[in-house]
Amino acid sequence: MTESSPLDRARAAKAHAHAVFSKLGDVVGVGITTIGSKYGLKINLASPLPTSTELPTEVDGVPVRVEVVGNIRKQDSE
Amino acid sequence: MNIDNARGLKASLLENVMESFAESSAVRSLGIRSQKSDPGKDALRTMAIGISGKGKDHQLAIRLQRRSLEDHPVLTKIRKQAKGEVDIKYVGRILKLETAAKLQKRRRPLVIGCSIGHFKITAGTLGCFVRDRSTGEILILSNNHVLANENNAVAGDAIIQPGDVDGGKKSTDAIGNLRSFVRLKKTGKNLVDCAVASIKQGIKSDQRKLGTFGNLAGLGLEVLVDGTQVRKVGRTTGETKGRVTAFELDNVVVGYDIGNVRFDDQIEIEGAGSNSFSDGGDSGSLIIDKDRGAVALLFAGGDQGGSNNKGLTYGNPIRVVLDALKVDLLT
Repeated sequence: MTESSPLDRARAAKAHAHAVFSKLGDVVGVGITTIGSKYGLKINLASPLPTSTELPTEVDGVPVRVEVVGNIRKQDSE
Repeated sequence: MNIDNARGLKASLLENVMESFAESSAVRSLGIRSQKSDPGKDALRTMAIGISGKGKDHQLAIRLQRRSLEDHPVLTKIRKQAKGEVDIKYVGRILKLETAAKLQKRRRPLVIGCSIGHFKITAGTLGCFVRDRSTGEILILSNNHVLANENNAVAGDAIIQPGDVDGGKKSTDAIGNLRSFVRLKKTGKNLVDCAVASIKQGIKSDQRKLGTFGNLAGLGLEVLVDGTQVRKVGRTTGETKGRVTAFELDNVVVGYDIGNVRFDDQIEIEGAGSNSFSDGGDSGSLIIDKDRGAVALLFAGGDQGGSNNKGLTYGNPIRVVLDALKVDLLT
């Protein structure tokens, strides 16, 4: 059996990461990005979490980075 | 030289040296050339003259848009009069930027990046021109929420340029009609926010030019990883540059008038330097890579996040958009 690539491992961890972080806050996106020198997951949150929240640093062995991106809106003119 | 001497020399050179060299070419440019052209003289209008700092002092500054001017006799004369106190630099071709203000005006021919919209919406951006795979007709590409009012439209509805918020009127500024769109689903996942419109007969369009970036080269990078440099021309922020910060982004929750809509497999971008990549009104912009290949269709954004904290922009991968609408890029 061939070992999966780092990119495939990041892809495979997306759904689980979404489930994990949705229990902690308002997730508005889970994507792939480079963390250090390997593929990891970027978790976008609509608002900051309480400072006491313990955030996982990896999911299924894939590194995770969390960013507060606010609310995302369609971009027609206001 | 001191600042007064530099100013005096600049005025004298503009009046006596530049004018005498440029005179014949200026006259010729008004009519049919009756004698052999001198490219060196014609090029003088691409030479700028000013003043620059030199330590605590000043010197004459010459900026050239053509390398051929470096050997022009006018420069020999200027060097001599300035007694060598001149800073000459080749700066390349300087083009007028497609500023946001210009893109919000009525544009004929239609241009990529200009204000456009279904007559009931505020305004978005004309992304690019595409060809229908079955009929060969040339159409305008933008978002569903720009051309089809978030599903609340029917084929044939008027599309106006500029958009309503920029003064466009259905009676005088209709440039085409909604042709088709991919419905936004309120439940389940969406991949695209896109629509196409026809162009009314007689409305001309500049179908390949992406502002001052050059002409659209076709489809761009298929695999768009973080760090990829991108650009766009849009109605609100004009020409901007940025970089991909994440790809294959799922569960992107975007606020629409119809409610929150979820997208999978999206691209995330941050603006370069201290600028945002996009803002409200840029929806529909075509996102291109550094080789002017199309990579995504801009549709959403926020005002937080990114390394400069100017917010992040989201785009649908362009290949998915084109397949969903059964159209091809016009290149």
